[in-house]
Amino acid sequence: MKNNIRELREAHDMSQEALAQKLEVSRQTVNAIENDKYDPMLPLAFKIARVFGKAIEEVFQPERKKSGR
Amino acid sequence: MEQTVRKSGAVKTNKGLISAVLFVVAYLVARIVLKQEGTGESMRVWAALLPVPAFAWMLWEIIKGVRVMDELQQRIQLEALAVAYPLALILLMTLGLLEIAITLPPEDLSYRHVWAALPLFYFIGLAIARKRYT
Repeated sequence: MKNNIRELREAHDMSQEALAQKLEVSRQTVNAIENDKYDPMLPLAFKIARVFGKAIEEVFQPERKKSGR
Repeated sequence: MEQTVRKSGAVKTNKGLISAVLFVVAYLVARIVLKQEGTGESMRVWAALLPVPAFAWMLWEIIKGVRVMDELQQRIQLEALAVAYPLALILLMTLGLLEIAITLPPEDLSYRHVWAALPLFYFIGLAIARKRYT
């Protein structure tokens, strides 16, 4: 899953630490999500979208798999 | 709210640390008592069981600590244990098989010493899991 959290966070002039505090998670978790190393579970994904005032699909987009055919 | 969360986290860490220190102290006291000649059997049994309550407290603090972790931190702990548990299993199984095959030196490879390798496996697993999400 792809996300644009980094862009949204920077547009809101927010540090990873500040976002982590808002979400009540560690900074490492925010960093892992931003770098596509970890896909959050639905409650956290909704929470992230709510922080930026966006719908969840505006923040997270499914990665299109390349067709093997 | 955030300060409260942080404060309670710090309190939990302190309690976890105190329980771990208490466990190590209890273990060392047990070893000292069990090394002494002429100690009665019931005293030796009590000494051998001495670290158990401290360990139970430490375990409780660990469980409480894991429950307040965020989802990624919990996943890292799970992956650390997913590495540590099979490693512990293979170590104990191999030692068991070697014990059947040959006579192992009890001063080096008995359960008295091998248990200390288990936390090492956990930290190896933790390092691998943390690296994956960093």
